[in-house]
Amino acid sequence: MSLRLCALVVSLAAVAPVSALAQVDRAAAETQIKAAFLYKFSGFVEWPPKAFTRPESPFTIGVIGADELAAELEQIVKGRTVLERAVVVRRMRRGESVAGIQMLFIGQAEGARLAEILAVAKGQSVLTVTESEDALAHGSMINFVFVDDKVRFDVALPQAERGALKISARLLAVARKVLTSS
Amino acid sequence: MGGIVKVDKKEERVNAARACITTIAALAAFAANAQTGKPSDLADLSLEELANLEITSVSRRPERLSDAPASVFVITGDDIRRSGATNLPEALRLAPNLEVARVDSRQYAISARGFNNTIANKLLVLIDGRTVYTPLFSGVFWDAQDTLLEDVDRIEVISGPGATLWGANAVNGVINVITRRAAETQGTLLVAGAGNLERGAAARQGGKLGADGAFRVYGKISDRDQTSRADGTSAHDSWDSGQVGFRADWGTAAGAFTLQGDAYRGTIDQAAAGDIRISGGNLLGRWARQLSGGDRVQAQAYFDNTGREIPGTFEERLNIFDVEFQHALRAGSQHSVIWGGGYRRADDHVTNTAAIAFLPADRNLRWGNLFVQDEIALRGDQLRLTLGTKAQSNPYTSTEFLPSARIAWKPDASRLVWSALSRAVRAPARLDRDLFVSAQPPVLPQPIAGGPDFRSEISKVLELGYRAQPSPRASYSITLFHSVHDRLRSVEPGPAGARVIGNEMEGKTDGIEAWGSFQAAESWRLNAGLLVLDQNLRLKPGSGDTSGIAAAGNDPRHQWNLRSSLDLPGRQEFDVMVRYVGPLPSPSVPGYTALDARYAWQFERGLELALIAQNLFDRSHPEFGAAATRSEIERGVFLKLRWSL
Repeated sequence: MSLRLCALVVSLAAVAPVSALAQVDRAAAETQIKAAFLYKFSGFVEWPPKAFTRPESPFTIGVIGADELAAELEQIVKGRTVLERAVVVRRMRRGESVAGIQMLFIGQAEGARLAEILAVAKGQSVLTVTESEDALAHGSMINFVFVDDKVRFDVALPQAERGALKISARLLAVARKVLTSS
Repeated sequence: MGGIVKVDKKEERVNAARACITTIAALAAFAANAQTGKPSDLADLSLEELANLEITSVSRRPERLSDAPASVFVITGDDIRRSGATNLPEALRLAPNLEVARVDSRQYAISARGFNNTIANKLLVLIDGRTVYTPLFSGVFWDAQDTLLEDVDRIEVISGPGATLWGANAVNGVINVITRRAAETQGTLLVAGAGNLERGAAARQGGKLGADGAFRVYGKISDRDQTSRADGTSAHDSWDSGQVGFRADWGTAAGAFTLQGDAYRGTIDQAAAGDIRISGGNLLGRWARQLSGGDRVQAQAYFDNTGREIPGTFEERLNIFDVEFQHALRAGSQHSVIWGGGYRRADDHVTNTAAIAFLPADRNLRWGNLFVQDEIALRGDQLRLTLGTKAQSNPYTSTEFLPSARIAWKPDASRLVWSALSRAVRAPARLDRDLFVSAQPPVLPQPIAGGPDFRSEISKVLELGYRAQPSPRASYSITLFHSVHDRLRSVEPGPAGARVIGNEMEGKTDGIEAWGSFQAAESWRLNAGLLVLDQNLRLKPGSGDTSGIAAAGNDPRHQWNLRSSLDLPGRQEFDVMVRYVGPLPSPSVPGYTALDARYAWQFERGLELALIAQNLFDRSHPEFGAAATRSEIERGVFLKLRWSL
């Protein structure tokens, strides 16, 4: 019920007489929310020390097949730190090594090549985040889903454990689904 | 894969108050930072707040989020589902700022701020960006407007002039039906229902389209029984209809494309001659692109074919082609500009009869428009001035200008005061200029002809509104309006004993639109709405009109509604709506109070059974029209099964 009230209140407050433009705005908003989530995830995951090449290495988020999101993320991380490290967004290509990357976002644009990219990151201490159906089955750790006009996400714990990543309970509490066994 | 340890229903349990504050705060934060063009503030929200953020809300042009200076009511898809409505007009009854009156099995009179009629002509109605009012009379044939209601995301009902951004016909309001994106309607949905007055079934299938696309196709059929007059005679208006359609969306924010279309047909019984047949189809493409720095461009084109055969009266086949373009940009830190233009062409072909004719029978009509609107931040987010105008050409008069000025003052996050001054124009339709009706004594002693000199009707409207959220559980909106109308349609004496359509009526409409929502408990929400109208129309000195001001519309002085939405344990829902519509003066229709109720039980995941009862207070009542031609709207019971796979 709370959602319904919210939807109403927000709708009342928010509606603009330009909703013909809403279609494109929507996609942009979705991208912005996902970018914000990616940045937030960094605070709720524990990486093993070996995930960083050097103690002063920056926290690096790789982005493949999602240029808009990469641009948003670059804005977000400007002047911010993660784990007391500088944050770098690296736009990557398929086949590129994931060495020195702590988080990897694979956009929907990669489509069928998703499995191939995930295979490269498998077993590494790289938090893989996707936005494609069945991505968890292909080895992704966190997958964005679209529920009731909101951006939510599912988490696959076994994959994260294989990469020696510890995901905090608070992040799991926000997840829509948590898969515990593969 | 397996071992799903939880399917989170958490936010449904979260305290309503907290969730609301969260969203409002999040939106405010988003709106505030949008000015600087930095998306970083979204990242300052907590995980929980992010997960609760509604995309549609965020996606609005950010500075408008909390301060739309207009009387806007939003019917959500969930509201429609819980209302049990089986067609668009019934769903529109949920909007307190609309007058919705049913005439018979398929005809409705729908308007905002007065002038209600079955040929009401001062509303702009859009379905996914496609304008659906007919150039024949600038009103809507409601029996031809349908979509799969389950796929409707929301209906925005904006009462008052919306002409600057929307179109020339948005004199008294805009109804904007928006369906969900194909990505949000994946999988299979089956709906079937039957009741004492109507039966219907629908199916929809959604799927993926490559890596970044999705589609859906749907089909629906329905059949409605004939209605009866007060004296028990049949209105001979039983109605069968079917519609199919699709929607596909591709791409990302960098370039998004939508292609959608519908095809429909319907058959309606009539007492004399053969059945009325309606049919049509439309195809729409929309392309949108997000540019750097928050700019956006959008282009849209559609083709719309409609046909209507009324044996013994007239036949029409109409082809519309419409193309439009919009560009939203930011100029400096203070200005948000939207500009654009459009072109619309209609090829209208009418087969005339001895009774009614539109002359010439074939007519090509063209409209063009250019608009610009600038929203100026006078004092940050607190005080905003919106100035805009639209220049619109039409087939009959010289270019019309539709300016508006709106100011919004937001003293704090939970209150908004706004005011607007607008000039709106109802441009001539074929009915005003090209119509010829033969004399039909005794009902119509003299023939009526369209007025070769009929000009646009003009309304100047002053609005004052206040919206507030005094507590996280409650919100309300009040709008006062004062409209001054000039050059309204009248029927004047013409040459050779004929009557000719003229512009000799004027007047004013004052009114109040108010609604509110209260979350009485976590699982119980109450909504209320009120409309008060005071319309004073008169014929200008020198007018020889004999139809009288009743021809301009028939409106109640007040109407109100109360809605209760209750969630019961075990996935059950119980909804009640009581609505009162005051008496209509001429032709006289008694006031009525109607009670609608719905009980629904989701007995298995995705499988819902709903029992809907309408007009529980009386066996039947009339809602609109003269006693001889109107039907009694009967009590209805409907059982509906909805299965999503």
